[in-house]
Amino acid sequence: MTELDTRPAPARTDVDDLVRPDRVSGAVYTDPEVFELEMQRIFREGWVYVGHESEVPEPGDYVTRRIGREPVILVRSKDGEVRVLANRCSHRGNRLCNAEKGNSSTFRCPYHGWTFTNAGDLVGVPMRQGYAERFLAVREELGLAPAPRMDSYGGFVFASLTAEGISLREHLGSATGAIDRLLALSPTGTLDLRAGWMKHRMRCNWKMVMENNVDGYHALFTHQSVYDAVRPAKVSHVPTKVEVYVRDLGDGHSEIDYAAEYTRLDDEFVWFGRAPREKLPKYVAAMEEAHGPEATHKAFVVGPPHTLIFPNLFLAEMNIMTVEPLGPGETIAYTTPALIPGQDEMNERMLRRTEGAMGPAGFLIADDGEIGMRNQFGLAAREPEWIQLSRGIETDIEDETGIVNHDKSAETPQRGWWKHWSSVLNGRAPGAVSGSTGEERA
Amino acid sequence: MTVTAREAIDHGAQATRPEAAVEAFLYREARLADEARYSEWEALWDDDGVYWVPMGPDDDPHVNLSYIYDNRRRIKSRIAQLNSGVRHSQTPPSVMRRTLANLEVLDRTSDDRGTTVTVGANFALYEYRYDMNIWAGRVVYAVRIRADGELRLVAKTVHLVNAGGPVPTLAFLV
Ligand code: FES
Ligand SMILES: [Fe+2]
Repeated sequence: MTELDTRPAPARTDVDDLVRPDRVSGAVYTDPEVFELEMQRIFREGWVYVGHESEVPEPGDYVTRRIGREPVILVRSKDGEVRVLANRCSHRGNRLCNAEKGNSSTFRCPYHGWTFTNAGDLVGVPMRQGYAERFLAVREELGLAPAPRMDSYGGFVFASLTAEGISLREHLGSATGAIDRLLALSPTGTLDLRAGWMKHRMRCNWKMVMENNVDGYHALFTHQSVYDAVRPAKVSHVPTKVEVYVRDLGDGHSEIDYAAEYTRLDDEFVWFGRAPREKLPKYVAAMEEAHGPEATHKAFVVGPPHTLIFPNLFLAEMNIMTVEPLGPGETIAYTTPALIPGQDEMNERMLRRTEGAMGPAGFLIADDGEIGMRNQFGLAAREPEWIQLSRGIETDIEDETGIVNHDKSAETPQRGWWKHWSSVLNGRAPGAVSGSTGEERA
Repeated sequence: MTVTAREAIDHGAQATRPEAAVEAFLYREARLADEARYSEWEALWDDDGVYWVPMGPDDDPHVNLSYIYDNRRRIKSRIAQLNSGVRHSQTPPSVMRRTLANLEVLDRTSDDRGTTVTVGANFALYEYRYDMNIWAGRVVYAVRIRADGELRLVAKTVHLVNAGGPVPTLAFLV
């Protein structure tokens, strides 16, 4: 007699079958096992962007976020330290903090009343006699779980849910230059990410949302309505007419770099609707005071980065975008402007620019979301198996900045993304936590 | 002038129904939006109009990010984009029907451009695009009755019930 094998199929432990240097399988966006492997190797073991220090300026300030699917609290504790704590009561697991943001010296669990300080220490256990002799040990051991690794760069806070691995600086690699480029536009060298986050539910894979941001090929088509009906592109989209480069920065990070073109033009604020200096007198004065006229002119010409930082942070010029993956075909995209502390005239313009371009009603992103959804629909057809990423592969140039292509529409950034993605999912990226996935999840 | 959702709620006690002409104007606005009659919808706006969809009931558009905060110029751009035929997120346009209910006059002021009537209402909007989306909220209009007798929209503020997000694509006229 034949017995039915009811054991579940073994979970995926690598993606060797899905990624080639010039193409990837459609399954990278649709396979639930790929998604599970990403949750482990990228979102538990790797560095993930969580929030910004400016969101928690005062002791007690907190915001609640997720790392992958896991709820965390980003909080500035009473000692002034920024911490990332699991948003899970250590008694029986209740989600402790249920507001999106706030200020509190303690978190009290509504289930049985356990109370934790904003540094995560357990300080209150109602009816403590119930623990008899063991009470002190219980109180000592059951603080909120801190993210095993946490670090920041330029105010951007990253965490990892695994203790071992490379440092944040190693993870960021040369992408720190993009954060520096953004901070160079602030007289104080700091940003303010408190205008509010647009949360846009997109019916597509999180990677589609992220890598589309460095796709220099789609704009003329996906965004034709903007260029036709509203305003021409800030610089030409014809590759031979402009010095706009795409770059694989290594480590999964990549960008579209307008710096050379803007520098050639030597015009300020091309990236900011060509606003003349006279419209921003306070900002210009503060910048010149802080950085001197030469560096200020350069910053105004070169403008902000258009850089994707693996896995979930996109420096979208003067906007910050991050994603929360909900499932293989569902993602929430979060967007807010990178406001400049104290520069109200500049910031109000920035709000209007963010609303114009980004989010669920934005002139650009609403259409990117629609195209992403249709891409997900299309991938339900299993043939042909491969998605093509070979555009420009023969004209890629390697230099000290990474792999560069002088054709903005080359798929160089995507090739860099997938190369790194597959090495992470295969457990072969630098500092990978070996042997900690398939077995652990089984 | 802006009436926040909070103020709109607090006003209830002494509110009255809007006059028939204002009510008819608002129903027409709703119908043109539903039917994606973009240019006719745009023509309802006065030159100082503001179309606002905030992310929170107490938000200040000068400080807080909104989903939409269109001045008249941007309303024009939004309509030009929708009319382009390649606004993919509205190609084809969502099929929609909305109802306005609980119409109340919240305020009435006069200046040299006419009399502005502020009307609060609740709405439910059924949007079909691949599948059904239901939107609901509080909408606050400022309608100007001009000296020449013409009615024009000066402000439309939409406080979505799900403003806290996440929200699906909002590329149609809400
Ligand atoms: S689950 Fe939090 S106190 Fe019991
Ligand atoms: Fe786009």
